[in-house]
Amino acid sequence: MKILIAEDEIELQKSMATYLERDGNICETASDFNEAMYKVDVYVYDVLVLDINLITGSGLDVLRELKNNHRDTATIIISANNSLDDKLEGLDLGADDYLTKPFHLAELNSRIKAVLRRSKFGGDETISFNEIHINTRSRTAYIDNKPISLTRKEYDLLLFFITNKGRVLSKEIIAEHLWGDSSDMVDNFDFIYVHINNLRKKLTDAGAKYIKTAYGTGYKFMED
Amino acid sequence: MAAGTKKVSLIRKTSKTFLWISLVLMLVSTIALYFYVRYLLQKEVEEELRSTEARIENVISGKGLIYQLAPVVEIKNVSVLGTERFKDTVIFDPSQNEMEEFRELSTYSEINGKKYNITVRALIVESEYILIAIMASYLIIIALVFIFFFYLNKSGNQRLWHPFFRNLEEMKGFSLNSEKPVQLVESDILEFSELNTVISSLTDKVRSDYKNLKQYTEDVSHEMQTPLAIIQAKIENIINGDNLNDIQYEHLTSIQQDIYRLTQMNKRLTLLTKIENQQFANPEVLNLNLVVKKRIQNFNEIFPDKIKFEEANILEVLMDHYLAEVLCDNLISNALKYSAEKKAITISIGHKTLMVSNQGEAKLQNPEKLFTRFYRETSHIKSTGLGLAIVQKICDLYGYKPSYSFADHRHIFKVEF
Repeated sequence: MKILIAEDEIELQKSMATYLERDGNICETASDFNEAMYKVDVYVYDVLVLDINLITGSGLDVLRELKNNHRDTATIIISANNSLDDKLEGLDLGADDYLTKPFHLAELNSRIKAVLRRSKFGGDETISFNEIHINTRSRTAYIDNKPISLTRKEYDLLLFFITNKGRVLSKEIIAEHLWGDSSDMVDNFDFIYVHINNLRKKLTDAGAKYIKTAYGTGYKFMED
Repeated sequence: MAAGTKKVSLIRKTSKTFLWISLVLMLVSTIALYFYVRYLLQKEVEEELRSTEARIENVISGKGLIYQLAPVVEIKNVSVLGTERFKDTVIFDPSQNEMEEFRELSTYSEINGKKYNITVRALIVESEYILIAIMASYLIIIALVFIFFFYLNKSGNQRLWHPFFRNLEEMKGFSLNSEKPVQLVESDILEFSELNTVISSLTDKVRSDYKNLKQYTEDVSHEMQTPLAIIQAKIENIINGDNLNDIQYEHLTSIQQDIYRLTQMNKRLTLLTKIENQQFANPEVLNLNLVVKKRIQNFNEIFPDKIKFEEANILEVLMDHYLAEVLCDNLISNALKYSAEKKAITISIGHKTLMVSNQGEAKLQNPEKLFTRFYRETSHIKSTGLGLAIVQKICDLYGYKPSYSFADHRHIFKVEF
């Protein structure tokens, strides 16, 4: 997967690249408006991660330029601005998703995979991890081709685990992914244990023991 | 100014002063005029009586004739001369066949060696009539003048103060959020012109200060996002690196939680600013019961069976949909967080009210501070301290009334629509 990260904050740009490269993606970076414009003109990417407020220009102009040349490139806008207008304008211009800073890298990774599924495979893709197969269109999971019954949140959780396989996921990251803004309506994230334990039990019962505990309170989805 | 002083409008106040002064002047001048005219009339009558008396004396000395014309003229022979005097008297007048009031001059004179007492009288009814006529005309004239002046004065004042009243209305409509400066009416009166200058500079200052403050809040929340994003991303990369032990991981996730709190605080401050800026201008008629049910569903995914919902009737409100959700979320999450022993909370919809209550031990210590920013009753629960402040702001925006009470070991938060 070839990804362009257009972000003028170098430290953030490097962190994103580090995280995404571990999955074997090729990450290129653009640190200002002109570099971003040049790269989207000349090269072809699968995904563009675009900061809307590039110091020397607007990310929206980069998006317009991109959509003129390479319509297929999936785009995720990242912005420090949570305003709905910016979001709508970005989505109108053809962006596929919108993330507000600060965000978790695991969340960014999962969004990138989701927009790729939508743009490249029309949303009808099967995601597999060994004997687990997930049909993202019907939102069902199979283990050894037998469907397992999951609640909506358990399904989302499983998908999140698989797209971030091998990564340490803290309960904070998981809570924010599953409940978004609603997660701040509670005073701690301990409620997440119940959901994870339920999912873990269903997977283990079907013979898939992949949800591991990491550092006592975190989780990691991986083979032994 | 003392509290509770009754306020009177400027025009009414000046009119009232005018009214009182005029009334006093009218009264005093009428009384003075009354006495003066009466005095003049009396003088006139006395002059007349004297001249009649002189004529009578003439007649007596010339012809020695004594005639009587009671009650107007009476002449008597007397042995001793008395002193001359005037007096008022009431005598039966045969010609009118009734008792009449007379002014009487009684004199003594010695004519041709004989002593006489000559009494002359004049009817004073006539002069009373004249007095009344004069007083009446005076009163009518002065009343007309007064009424005329009253309205002239009033309309004059109104015209004079017109710029002042216009500007007062303009000031009443002044809003901190307004983009335009206040539009004051110019006046050729020096004081008004000065007042305008002062008002303009004051309101400009207030508006720019307010704008700066808002801008500051926005900028701070906005500018903090990127550094937070960097910290967050780095922590995630560290967690996914090698050579980490459990304690280090604990610390890192604890930092993640604090970043999360900061982020939420930012979002909520921005939300507060947006509500203040009236950026939610899409009110629609909402069925609040449905909104509440939807929010409960959402919470049930996190905390199953912690919320009881009682609906006595359907409550429809006119407000922004997003703000309605925020209002419900904040009240519900507040109740859930603080419910003693994590007991179930109750939401009820009644006639124009929404009530959310949770288990509690005692009444809160400072219920009046409950809806202010960053007030927390306890410190052991992590919160942004902005949830109820947002509730208050939303209520302010739509004129709803939020309140807190404690009864039967339950904290009750009520919103009246």
